[in-house]
Amino acid sequence: MSVENLLGNEAIGLGLVEQGCRVVTAYPGTPSSEILAGVIKHKKRLGWDVYTEWSSNEKVAFEVALAASWSGLRAAVAMKQVGLNVAADPLFSAAYTGVKGAFLVIAADDPGPHSSQTEQDSRMMALTAKVPVFDPSSPAEAREMVALALDLSERFGAPVLLRPTTRLCHAVQSLDLPDVAGSNGETPKVKFRKDPGRWTATPKFRNKLHHELNQKLRQIEAEFDQSPLNFVINAGSSDKVGVIASGVAYHTAVQSLSELGVRIPVLKVGTPYPLPQHKVADFAASVERVVVIEEPDACIELQIPERGKVYGRLDGTVPNAGELSPEVVAHALAGVLANAGFDISPSPHDTALQDLINELPLPVRRPRLCPGCSHRSTFFALKQEFGPRAIYPGDIGCYTLGMNLRAVDTFVDMGASVTMADGFYQAGRITGDTRPIIATIGDSTFLHSGIPPLINAVHTGAKFVLLILDNHTTAMTGFQPTAANDTLADGGEAPRQVSIPDIARACGVGFVESADPYDQASFRTLMRQAYDYTQEADGGVAVLVADRPCVLYDRAPIQEHPVPVIVTEECDGCRFCVEAFECPALVLYPERNIVDIDYKICVDCGQCIDACYKGFIIPKMPVGSVQ
Amino acid sequence: MELKLILTGLGGQGVLFLTRLLSKTAVSLGHTVMVSETHGMSQRGGSVISHLKVSGSKAPLIRRGTADILIALEPNEAVRSLTFLRQGGAAFINSDNGLPPELDAHLKRLNLQVQCLPASQMAVELGTAAVTNTIMAGFAHPFPIESLRHALTEIVPHGRELNLQALTAGYAANQRSVFSEQ
Repeated sequence: MSVENLLGNEAIGLGLVEQGCRVVTAYPGTPSSEILAGVIKHKKRLGWDVYTEWSSNEKVAFEVALAASWSGLRAAVAMKQVGLNVAADPLFSAAYTGVKGAFLVIAADDPGPHSSQTEQDSRMMALTAKVPVFDPSSPAEAREMVALALDLSERFGAPVLLRPTTRLCHAVQSLDLPDVAGSNGETPKVKFRKDPGRWTATPKFRNKLHHELNQKLRQIEAEFDQSPLNFVINAGSSDKVGVIASGVAYHTAVQSLSELGVRIPVLKVGTPYPLPQHKVADFAASVERVVVIEEPDACIELQIPERGKVYGRLDGTVPNAGELSPEVVAHALAGVLANAGFDISPSPHDTALQDLINELPLPVRRPRLCPGCSHRSTFFALKQEFGPRAIYPGDIGCYTLGMNLRAVDTFVDMGASVTMADGFYQAGRITGDTRPIIATIGDSTFLHSGIPPLINAVHTGAKFVLLILDNHTTAMTGFQPTAANDTLADGGEAPRQVSIPDIARACGVGFVESADPYDQASFRTLMRQAYDYTQEADGGVAVLVADRPCVLYDRAPIQEHPVPVIVTEECDGCRFCVEAFECPALVLYPERNIVDIDYKICVDCGQCIDACYKGFIIPKMPVGSVQ
Repeated sequence: MELKLILTGLGGQGVLFLTRLLSKTAVSLGHTVMVSETHGMSQRGGSVISHLKVSGSKAPLIRRGTADILIALEPNEAVRSLTFLRQGGAAFINSDNGLPPELDAHLKRLNLQVQCLPASQMAVELGTAAVTNTIMAGFAHPFPIESLRHALTEIVPHGRELNLQALTAGYAANQRSVFSEQ
């Protein structure tokens, strides 16, 4: 055995492998992306046979793993919280049908949010779907809970949710790593067995299954009431105030109490749904006030029937938006404790210094596209061709940062660029708005959920240009392969690749072209042709694929044709390139009123030559050439 | 004893690498660690911050006003994170010009020990800006330098010599670190 520092997500992946999961699927999304990577790393380390895939989307991932479970195998699916929206349909259905082999759904929540469009609580989604929830508080506990959740799932034939949050997913903790023991090499003696009353249940049978599910939940709640995952620390230390906490917020609450110099009982809830009602009621009866510390929403608090003495998100004691940072938790606890007569340590946060720092003109850091990113070339060419007037529906990925170049006007959820363009066209037809509509979507997002919207738009005669930004990988989340790539999740060779232009053609799109956006002049010509096609009497959606690999994923094209640049002495500091092209390697020096290249981060893509319309950014002459 | 560190900089500067180097060193010395890292969109040039707790609470984040050490790869990010330090805490900052002078009175009042080093410049002189983080690890050396050196050789597959030089150069610039005996 050795001690290793493991990322929370990797600890979950390790747990899935250790516990004999044979099929694990996922769609990448921060903060969940490293879970499947953890599975792949540890199945390779142990030499075990675990089928893994980066699925097209979360619904696909869910159903592939579900079928494995119905075949009797242990299976799991991982995604971020908004991915569970995409997989909500099978989640709700599978709760009724139940499962055969253990089936673990992992949905990572993102209080803050740090990298998501909402702060939704997957525990509440599971509560609505009637799926039991395990809520780990640390990487070590997440790994233990994987085992307990799989066991529960198998015994009750119910899908189970494991719900980590960002701070757990991206926490690193020292864990014991077991030596290779045993093997999963033998062929499992299970297979899919037909059971029409369950696997093809009609509404009449569904009602029966619903009753059955309710029965399971009652038994599971009774089991949770006895579970060591729900325990009290500092029992009996105070009859004034107690804390109920779950997830990472449990450790934050314990730390806060210690920093406040207070010792009071804390009920740690590891299974927030179904809530262990007896344990919670007994705890609440032992104190005058109960503070509930949980995130991102009031899942436990809402399930407590007697709320007269409960303080939390619902009464405003805990803010009902944003992450539970140590400062927020300490502040919330301090308020209740002070009212209950406790003597508490003052905040160590120096507000005088903080106020002064808040006044300083520190640079605002916003995320930006990387130097050499092909999306920048596409967006710049797009803006040059269609200007500020056109409507630019965008989508979810690195290229959402096209908003910095004002080339992304909307983003809603995965795939919505296509449907929003469709809807803007239909609305404009009614209101007489004839502005050009150019939507942008990435390769992985297009394959995730851009195809049905495209079919819809083609069929209804919408007129817009769809730019598919194909950088050959799922870049934002760490370069996971898509169905258009030649590799599989574990590095194996994909037997077949899909072609994005062929998909567009098969959807009935009448104009499909593909080009390298680094050739900005040609790309602008093609964009104009695409737009002209949409405006023809029988024109419709035009698809243009911007084909250029992510500069972080595949540096070879730039290394083969580097175009180092310099800024000439004529630069007048007009800021156009800095604002319209926004490359981090283009730096404005206000005191000298010039722009210069930051060669520490410049990748020699040469794309900014087009960004100075005055011609002051030029290729660096080869050494020895005539000036 | 518990040691709390805040490590900060900009996306792409290697805050994650610095975090992993210090975590690995801590574990090699028999400590447990709890770290919170920044992933996702912020890595594209935004502020990046790691919270590292050695032999401490399992809460992933450090409360403002309680950190022992701040290591910053960029001076503006250092200022942003300065109030994480407890009274008497130490800041090690990659900066050519120190911190804004208007902070001086507060630094003195809170007994914050601020040490700056032009680590980016030193890194370029060594051959690449990429080793700025390793120079700062040597400069702050919250653990014995030999342990850091050992951990570094284990986690750097390529460019080991250059990284070791960088660690040594940072260490040479500050052999009297108050935390070097921990």
